[in-house]
Amino acid sequence: MSTQTKLNAPVAEFNGVSFRYDGGPEILKDIQFTLSPGSFHFMTGESGAGKTSLLSLLYLYHLPTKGRVRLFGYPVDEMARLDRAKLRRQIGVVFQDFRLLNHLTAFDNVALPLRIAGVKESEIRRHVSELLAWVGLENQMKTHPPELSGGEQQRVAIARAVINRPTLLLADEPTGNVDDAMAKRLLHLFLELNKLGTTVVIATHNEGLIRHFGFPRLHLDKGHLSVVPQNQYKEMASKLFNRGGAQ
Amino acid sequence: MKQSRLFFSTDSNRLFLPWMSMLMGFIAVLILAAGMSAYDSITNWQRVVSGSLTVQIPTYTEAGDPRGEVVNREIETALTILRSSTGVKGATVLSDSQMTELMIPWLGEGAAVSELPLPKLIDVMVDSDHYPDMAQLKTDLAAQVPSAVLDSHRLRLEPLLRLSSGGIKLIGFILILLALTASFTVIYATRTSLTAHEHIISLIHMMGANDWFITRQYAARNFNLTFMGSFFGLLLALPIMAGVSFLIHGATLDFIWNPALDIKQWIVLGCVPVGLALLAFVTTLKTVSDYLKRFL
Repeated sequence: MSTQTKLNAPVAEFNGVSFRYDGGPEILKDIQFTLSPGSFHFMTGESGAGKTSLLSLLYLYHLPTKGRVRLFGYPVDEMARLDRAKLRRQIGVVFQDFRLLNHLTAFDNVALPLRIAGVKESEIRRHVSELLAWVGLENQMKTHPPELSGGEQQRVAIARAVINRPTLLLADEPTGNVDDAMAKRLLHLFLELNKLGTTVVIATHNEGLIRHFGFPRLHLDKGHLSVVPQNQYKEMASKLFNRGGAQ
Repeated sequence: MKQSRLFFSTDSNRLFLPWMSMLMGFIAVLILAAGMSAYDSITNWQRVVSGSLTVQIPTYTEAGDPRGEVVNREIETALTILRSSTGVKGATVLSDSQMTELMIPWLGEGAAVSELPLPKLIDVMVDSDHYPDMAQLKTDLAAQVPSAVLDSHRLRLEPLLRLSSGGIKLIGFILILLALTASFTVIYATRTSLTAHEHIISLIHMMGANDWFITRQYAARNFNLTFMGSFFGLLLALPIMAGVSFLIHGATLDFIWNPALDIKQWIVLGCVPVGLALLAFVTTLKTVSDYLKRFL
């Protein structure tokens, strides 16, 4: 089976998806949603609501316990192992804990997805240098993650997630360790990618960002998902903020 | 950046595997060398044994008196019987100098062999494909030369040959055990490394690395470490082999076991590090492939 994105197919389709870890309680319950190509969503919910689990289904780390997940038009449970690997190369992930490899330099960390994809070294050098300069780390390319600040590590993690222009970008609290100015700058990077056609899902607690950008959100509450459209969300947020009830 | 740096910067197997491989290589080379030279010696014995017989004509009576001229007559009669027998290609009496040479391993050089009550020996060359009828030959000799003793080396050496070929089988068994131990060592080392690097493997897997991307790095790395270790094992075994060879020559025992190896056998020994490294390569491929099945 070819893993080229099917034309006009939704980037992700969840139909009646439930998920639990081995023998544990149900983390996600009857999830139903579709991500259209080029869409931008925030994902919100309390800690433990299931955001990370939902993201892990999106980046193919787990299969659902019940229901069906289709990515780029393909049912993930029916795919061959090799095809799943190819599909993953179209997905960029920013992890909450960064997951940088401490024995590699910032440059080599960012270059990793390109090396896995078999890109030529000359191209890798050019693209990685440009991107690291863009996120303000041009002077720290040869620095190892333990020597970088939390914010710098986060920028390396983001650069690594976007270096191969993914079709789907997933980010778990990508602005948690940077100041507001850098958070907005990074969100603009995600927006630029989104304009180029990348579908973006950002899990965040940063209400300021959500308000500022106003994109629709996927809200998780005790494993149940509700999709709040952009306008409805703006109205809801406006009411909440007028009452002073949201942070 | 070298691909191998993806996983292995802080891996304790960097030391464990070469040391273990050195030990395995060392033992494998010594056992293989012993096995090959033992096989050569056995083949040589078999060749000698199956191609010759000896007839002894005593030169002294049992009381210790010289038998005189009768010995020469008996020798002539025995030669006639032998040369006319089916399966005998030739028969010659060993000269005094040949007898002296034969006794050197037991008596040393310069021994006064001529003063010893040694029998006259007739070396009988036989056709190993059409071995003479020993019972008939014995009967013929007993009829005309009653003092003659027909000595088939085959009968005498058979238990020794059985022992030696059993020894070679044992060496083969030990080599198989060694290969299994090497495989288990590689499996253990690889699993330890996989566990230590699970977070890296998981991350690379999530980025879209296929199984081959990960397995080949482990396999190539273990191939290199094992080759390096077992090559040093081979180098370490060489002085031991030289020492054993020196001792055997010094004790003039090389007519029993000649430890000298020919060029083909040296090539076989040279292949030990490559063989162990290939074994490590294949074992690692299987181990890592099995491990990766836990990831979706």
